[in-house]
Amino acid sequence: MTDQYDIVIIGCGVIGSSIAYHLSEYKQKRILVIDKGFPLSGTSGSTQAWVWVHNKVPKWYGELSMYSAELYPFLERKIGDVEYKRTGGIAPFFAQTDRDKALRLVEEQAEVGIKVEVLTRDQVLEKEPALSPKIAGATYSDMDGNVNPFRLVELYIKAAKRNEVEFSFYNPVIEMVMEKDHYKIYTKNKKDAITTERVILAGGPWSKEIGELLGLDIPIKQVRGQVIITEPLAPFLKHTIGGMRQAENGEVLIGFSKEEVGYDRRTTMDVIQETAQMAINYIPSLAKANIVRSFSGVRVIPEDGFPILGKIPDKKNAYIAAMHSGVTLSPLVGTLMAELVMEGETSICLERYSLKRFMNYA
Amino acid sequence: MKTDVLIIGGGPAGLNAAIETASRGIKTIIIEESYALGGQLKQQTQFFNNLPKQFDRQRGIHLMRTLIDRLSPLPVTCLLKHKMIGVYKDGRIGIANDTETFPIDAKKVIVTTGAAEETDLFPGWTLPGVMTVGAAQILINRERVLPGKNALIVGLNSFSAEVTKQLKACGINILGVIDKNVSVNDKKLVDGLEDKKIRVMVNTVIERATGAGEVEKVTINNDGKKEDLDIDLICIGKGLSPILEPLEILDCEFGFQAKLGGLVPKYYSTLGTSNPSVYVAGNAAGITCLGGILVTAEIAALNALKALGVLNDNEAKISSSFLWDELRSMESEESIETFIARVAHIKEFHEECELPLPASFHAILEGC
Repeated sequence: MTDQYDIVIIGCGVIGSSIAYHLSEYKQKRILVIDKGFPLSGTSGSTQAWVWVHNKVPKWYGELSMYSAELYPFLERKIGDVEYKRTGGIAPFFAQTDRDKALRLVEEQAEVGIKVEVLTRDQVLEKEPALSPKIAGATYSDMDGNVNPFRLVELYIKAAKRNEVEFSFYNPVIEMVMEKDHYKIYTKNKKDAITTERVILAGGPWSKEIGELLGLDIPIKQVRGQVIITEPLAPFLKHTIGGMRQAENGEVLIGFSKEEVGYDRRTTMDVIQETAQMAINYIPSLAKANIVRSFSGVRVIPEDGFPILGKIPDKKNAYIAAMHSGVTLSPLVGTLMAELVMEGETSICLERYSLKRFMNYA
Repeated sequence: MKTDVLIIGGGPAGLNAAIETASRGIKTIIIEESYALGGQLKQQTQFFNNLPKQFDRQRGIHLMRTLIDRLSPLPVTCLLKHKMIGVYKDGRIGIANDTETFPIDAKKVIVTTGAAEETDLFPGWTLPGVMTVGAAQILINRERVLPGKNALIVGLNSFSAEVTKQLKACGINILGVIDKNVSVNDKKLVDGLEDKKIRVMVNTVIERATGAGEVEKVTINNDGKKEDLDIDLICIGKGLSPILEPLEILDCEFGFQAKLGGLVPKYYSTLGTSNPSVYVAGNAAGITCLGGILVTAEIAALNALKALGVLNDNEAKISSSFLWDELRSMESEESIETFIARVAHIKEFHEECELPLPASFHAILEGC
């Protein structure tokens, strides 16, 4: 009977581990988290890890991001130092015509309380002197920042373990059977099924494959992003800048690319060179920097771009959380999903994020 | 830049592969990230008895000269201080030096990146004065610098034993060679050290190293019995593991073979990988002896030549079975386990691809 749980979470990335931790705070349920690999070997470990709010549109999506960013200082007091830094975020634009778009963004975000400013070129250069004088301006918000994703996921897991959540790594789920009042989950490393009352799908880029095990079509795309990393440079970038940031150790992480090539984690010279050129357009002094590494991560992008959150329609006690910007959203998504599972309702309405919006009317 | 064969790494495997391809008139480029060809041979003053037939028994540094001399009249371009840094979408290889990045369009790529030393972790392992045995060998033989006066060696294997003797010959006091294993299979190794009055301690590990700014003291634990030693040098010889990054970027598949150094690229009896234009040889194809490094390079080069249509099937078959015999003899001289693991590794990949092994390979299988 040891393989019986109240809740099984499939996927131990930033979303799965956050949900596990937030559920464990209730200290009521027997929880297991299963992952096909090891935490941080996938998408959550291959990200620039911005906590990014200001140009997330429409405003209701911006609002969700803002609430999540606001939870970070509180989260750090509970699980420990995840190196969250609210650096302020700068999204530069190069054409004067983009200024009108920027002004509209300011108006829209103001409606939900996100403070965005449009900076002139001189104001941008005052904030970040290394940026190119060719920049026409930028949108700016002091809400944006970044975090160390490795510490974040590790500390979610450690905190969850302290609350007696169990974990099973390198153990892909191969079959799921819905029975009357429970699910049977078959994994590669266990002969017998794991039974659970509730199941939460948090498979990130593998959401489609996991959804299929329940006969679902989870509409997400896998979108590769390639990131290049410079040698450690003396601190010269204070803000998180659209496309790049300087990490604590001086390395600058740079990435702009989006490619739909399936789950292929390689980098290509073409994109690396384009990325380097983009970086030089933004910050001319980077032309002298050596690139020491590159990596790629596979983003999870729902078909319409917005998070898929909540109960799975027509499947009893099954839930899903699949989204882009999991790092930004994880504190809030963990909180809300835990509320949903434990209390049946959430403090922020998740209706618009339901999987239902993709389902054909039968 | 265009070439028939591109060789990644100008150590013994890369040089020997280049000799094979270029002596057939095939345009060959070697990419080497350091300032000179030769790889680890540059500091290997030890004598090698177990070499393929076309080489006299000689010291590593002399073998390096021999290889470079044989290569120099041939149509080979050696790009020193150049690194492979990536692959373009169309398959061209991205090469960079300090000033520029450019593509090389190669029909066949032979990856001969060699191996990296494994280290050991213990409290104090980052103190100056703690280094790998390979680093210590570079210091004494290449840079002519004594790395310390009183040394402890961690890990017993043929390479660490060889370097230990060289360090002692330079006047360094060796306080001991320790190994965590309870017994050492190779009695010759132990005898060779004890003959030189070097203490060998099995079932022994480092508890911690301490010192102000550099390593000064080490506490070792011999089966529960602790001992403090005053030292200023700790050399770690924990073996080697293949350098795989270029193969990863080239989309080669990997398999695990403990006796070949852990994760190694999957390859056929041709030493061709899952990427049809990529071959692998030397330590990158599994940790082996110098003889094994040289012969695998010939096997890979031979098969690249065959794939390029330079050799006909019959020529390739005859040379191939000769080379496999030679590889078996080289590797069984040092450790037959390497050869058995290599053959098993190849057999597995052929089975996975449902590709029959060549008839000549069956005799080899039976011999294992």
